[in-house]
Amino acid sequence: MKVVNNLTHSVDGLGILKGRAAYTDDLADKNSLIVKVLRSPHAYAKIVKIDSEEALKLPGIEMVLTHKDFSRVPFTRAGQGYPEPSPHDKFVLDEYVRYVGDEVLAVVGSDLAVCEEALALIKVEYELLEPVLDFEKAIDHKSIIHPEPEAHEMFPIGFEPLRNIAASYHMHVGDVEKTLSECDVVIEETFFTQAQAHVMLEPHTVNARMDYQERLVIYNSTQTPYHMRRIISQGLNIPLSKIRVIKPRVGGGFGGKQGIHGEMLVAYVTYKTGKAAKMVYTRKEVFESSYTRHPMKMKVTLGADKSGVLKAIDFHCLSDTGAYGEHALTVFMVVGSKVLPLYNKVDSVRFYGDVVYTNHTPAGAYRGYGAIQGNFALESAVDMLCVKLGMNPIEFRQLNMMKETETSPIFEIMGEGTAGTAMIMETCKLEECVEKGMKLIDWNDKYPSKDMGNKIKSVGMAIAMQGSGIPYIDMGSATIKLNDDGFYNLLVGATDIGQGSDTVLAQIAAEVLMTTMDKIVIYSSDTDLTPFDCGAYASSTTYVSGNAVFKAANDMLEAILVEARRILKSKEVEFDGVLFTNELGETISLIDLSNEITYSEDQKQLSVTSSYVGHKSPPPFMAGFIEIDIDKETGEVDIVNYVSVVDCGTTINPKLAEGQVDGGIVQGLGMAMFENVQYSKKGALISNSLMTYKIPTRVDINNLTTVFVDSYEESGPFGAKSVGEIGIDTPPAALANAVYNALGIRIKTLPITAEKILLAIKAKERN
Amino acid sequence: MVKQILPKNLSEVLELISKEKYRFCAGGTDMLIQNHNLKTLPIDFKDNIIYTFNLEELKGITEDEDFITIGASESLESILENKITPQILKDTILQMASPAIRHSGTIGGNIGNASPAGDLLVPLYLLNAIVQLQSLKGIRSVLLSDFITHVRRIDLRDDEIITKIIISKINFDKHQFVKVGPRLSDAISKLSFLGAVSFHEDKVIDLRFSFGAVNITVVRRPEIEAQYIYKTKEELKNSVDELLEKYSEYIRPIDDQRSNKEYRKTVALNLLRNFIEEL
Repeated sequence: MKVVNNLTHSVDGLGILKGRAAYTDDLADKNSLIVKVLRSPHAYAKIVKIDSEEALKLPGIEMVLTHKDFSRVPFTRAGQGYPEPSPHDKFVLDEYVRYVGDEVLAVVGSDLAVCEEALALIKVEYELLEPVLDFEKAIDHKSIIHPEPEAHEMFPIGFEPLRNIAASYHMHVGDVEKTLSECDVVIEETFFTQAQAHVMLEPHTVNARMDYQERLVIYNSTQTPYHMRRIISQGLNIPLSKIRVIKPRVGGGFGGKQGIHGEMLVAYVTYKTGKAAKMVYTRKEVFESSYTRHPMKMKVTLGADKSGVLKAIDFHCLSDTGAYGEHALTVFMVVGSKVLPLYNKVDSVRFYGDVVYTNHTPAGAYRGYGAIQGNFALESAVDMLCVKLGMNPIEFRQLNMMKETETSPIFEIMGEGTAGTAMIMETCKLEECVEKGMKLIDWNDKYPSKDMGNKIKSVGMAIAMQGSGIPYIDMGSATIKLNDDGFYNLLVGATDIGQGSDTVLAQIAAEVLMTTMDKIVIYSSDTDLTPFDCGAYASSTTYVSGNAVFKAANDMLEAILVEARRILKSKEVEFDGVLFTNELGETISLIDLSNEITYSEDQKQLSVTSSYVGHKSPPPFMAGFIEIDIDKETGEVDIVNYVSVVDCGTTINPKLAEGQVDGGIVQGLGMAMFENVQYSKKGALISNSLMTYKIPTRVDINNLTTVFVDSYEESGPFGAKSVGEIGIDTPPAALANAVYNALGIRIKTLPITAEKILLAIKAKERN
Repeated sequence: MVKQILPKNLSEVLELISKEKYRFCAGGTDMLIQNHNLKTLPIDFKDNIIYTFNLEELKGITEDEDFITIGASESLESILENKITPQILKDTILQMASPAIRHSGTIGGNIGNASPAGDLLVPLYLLNAIVQLQSLKGIRSVLLSDFITHVRRIDLRDDEIITKIIISKINFDKHQFVKVGPRLSDAISKLSFLGAVSFHEDKVIDLRFSFGAVNITVVRRPEIEAQYIYKTKEELKNSVDELLEKYSEYIRPIDDQRSNKEYRKTVALNLLRNFIEEL
């Protein structure tokens, strides 16, 4: 291969470095009205009265929008498949506010200063309601967060709003209780994870204008442009054909942009006034008023026999979706479906629980999507079981984990929101990942720990899996067009959000068409111009959209060969990407061919469109190993090294793949030990700025060792699986295991801070 | 509308502040955050402001036989890079903030801000720094530990400006600065500790400790330090429990967003113990 799996520069890197207009706000109409939201100071309240008379008198104020301006059409802001597995529980504006930061009303004015001035003049009277701030007490709480009759589910997801339940789920294989009763060794442990923030660099940004055909054109920093178009159409009752959504270059999403934020208000203002409008979230709004990761409580019971064979897993999960139920069920199910199959040899397994509403910032999609939470709980519990068994945790995993050509019944039972799809692991190099990782971290020398005086060195590890798109749901498509002068346009609905999918997809096309990257001009994510794609989520783009590009490129190859055979009057024509040659040795170049069919003879536009929907979701696998030094005086943890050995099939672009894993590891370490989410007693987010919410910096991450094992997934484009999420899953458990290996202290609540470690050391000394 | 003045020289400043109340903005690394407002970029000051960054009279680092004098407007980075600067100050600055902030933030600003978590205050307390203040009435010199009266409160009259910081030239046999923060760089301290000691023929001749972010301002207790002068190293080491006991009373941290009081107190005392035990 010449392009795929070779060092290839990204298609947009240089232009972005040069500061070319690329991002959503770069492209806003200079005369855009500003839409600014008044946000609730209360965790739960009913709006009794809004007095905006003074504000409306301000010169430059165009309008003040309240819940009375919108018809009561409930929708979900989650951009996922349709019908959505998330409850329709959100109105553009509502007379209830359900968390600190929720939308009360919006002012629309000529500039930000006048909007701020107007906000200060508006008086809102609230009737305060008792908020639900403890998710463990949410079910059947006397406060009901969604009492409105319009809220509904699109299909059964266990939605019980009067009990504050957004979704619930239960599955089992075998009889867990019976198996557990027969086990020699059983442990039961409970784990907690926090509401991690995405902290993408570009905040949520949207702008809109009417074009000269009286259509609504929305520029939107989103992961899911097609879902945006549909949701906006439904929520505002604007015909789908009247809306065009353009996704410019996106400055990071991590799942946070897999949903609606300011889009409804901005679209409404432009559609109603005919004037351009825009909204850019402040960093505080990104923290308080977008999405977080779902905080969870997970109770894990494991049972094994004396020889260390895992017999049963019982996994109960309580998930906090905050004020609205975006991704409530699907994130919940991934806790099980992309974690439990790691140990596929158990006799019985049960996974069940509820997703509850609370009056906190809503949770939504976030890289890992439940798998990181589940992985922390299960992979911590496995090490705890090993302590009780007196068994080396790596030997235990080698004995019990998923191996190539094996399967798990869970694949068939659990999908995302619905039933799943049975599949055999045609590629699973976990054994090699573990073995290689042990060598790279020097496990045998360092495990479990080494006392170095003031510091203690230790290692810990965890294994993980993810998926590659959602089978039978996620669809991607690609159009390829041949131009005169012999270059191609590649039009994809797939959404580059900074992960580099434009580059990866162009590489796949270039490889099939035997050409170079400069001959492939990629344009992505414009609902008028590019074919459908479900968007950038669920580790789907390389596998699902990549397969669509692979098919389209092969179809294009066939189409140009048809033309070459016609022109060269031959049934046998060979093509090397530049030149067509028939059996007589007569040739025509692609440039000449394309010029001929464009300008001179039998003119036509060659254009093909292909789509791909996965019939399986081959999981990438990895083993993560961490080496840490713990300071005994301060409880501080230094990350010395993080070794990731990854099986993601072929790396289409090795640099971008490494970047995805490294980024995932750092974000996972952020959740594991830095990102402390704090709420006030009244439910306001205290950690709502980059001053108070600390993500790791370069100096906190000493060394990342990331390697890929040889692996070729037949069903993927050029053997590729996905790599976008797998990196984030292992750090919490690997760190928790390393801390235990150092100190004999088990921390079961994230993040693992110096405070928790030191106070646990003190408590241990006292006993 | 507040006045924002960019003065040409110090006498213009002294003239202005003798007539009207102003606040000073030196590097702005705290002032800009405290007054930031997105709608009126760059900044939304509530008081009259004098920018001091271009006042030559507040610049310069000089030394004589006994003292080092640092101009109040010297940035942390320029102090770090100056040959005259004692290592004990450099060690602290190296762990402060980010390079960008270190290029803007000033020593005078760090003092004027009087944050309990101001890292630079920790070595300055230890070095018995003197703050020189100037007004039309003349020059006043105050010990830093007297100048800072409470959290974010300083003994600065409305007609005065901080012009210089004077520290004694002292070399210690050993010093150790430890900053404990939520991450390794670009973070405000949860707490910090500085210990310094000198011996003569195995006897302690100088012993100093200061602690940051564990009380309303930096904790320095010369009366405790004095009790260990002329002890041998061994005696000092043997009395570590007693020493911790004595400091324990003054280590009174709070719970806040960055950490909690139990952690802060435990770690502060652990760091003190470690410093002594490793002598």
